[in-house]
Amino acid sequence: MKNRLKVLRAERDWTQARLASELEVSRQTVNAIEKEKFDPSLPLAFKISRLFEMPIEEIFSE
Amino acid sequence: MSKLTDAIFCKNLPVRDLKNANRVNLWAIAWAASLAIISFISRYDWYSATLPIALAFVFSSGIGVGMFLAYKRFLKELDELERKIQLDALASSVGVTLVVFGGYSILDKAGLAPELQASSLIVLMALTYMAGIIVGRIRYQ
Repeated sequence: MKNRLKVLRAERDWTQARLASELEVSRQTVNAIEKEKFDPSLPLAFKISRLFEMPIEEIFSE
Repeated sequence: MSKLTDAIFCKNLPVRDLKNANRVNLWAIAWAASLAIISFISRYDWYSATLPIALAFVFSSGIGVGMFLAYKRFLKELDELERKIQLDALASSVGVTLVVFGGYSILDKAGLAPELQASSLIVLMALTYMAGIIVGRIRYQ
């Protein structure tokens, strides 16, 4: 699954550690999602969507 | 090399997960110690009575249940990538142990290998589980 997490994070000038802290996950989890090695669970995807104030489908795509 | 040490020590996990992991480790050490103590005292004659054996069984099993519950809580509250790594490692551990046990049983029944010890299976499970965790953490770095 593709995602725009890295771009959205860069737009806000956030580090991976800052994003991980906001999402209450490890930095490795953020890194693995950005590198598209790991697909987040639905609750985490909703959390990301709420944090960036965007619909899920604008962040994640097939 | 730093990738390997990061994978072993996993220093970037949230504090909550590290605390839960430490709880599991303490329970596991207590469980292993209980088995070692019981193995040691089983050499004495008085241990052959029913009461000490029952007490030893309840003591070790109780610690084992505590370890299991601590591990269950650890998995439930764990960071979701680390949970996937842990579950993949558990699957590898069970799979490898089953295959090795099946293969060894064939050799054992044919008289080509010495009788299999239960402790060997526990060691095999633990080693494949640890290897699975390290491989998983390196894969997702």
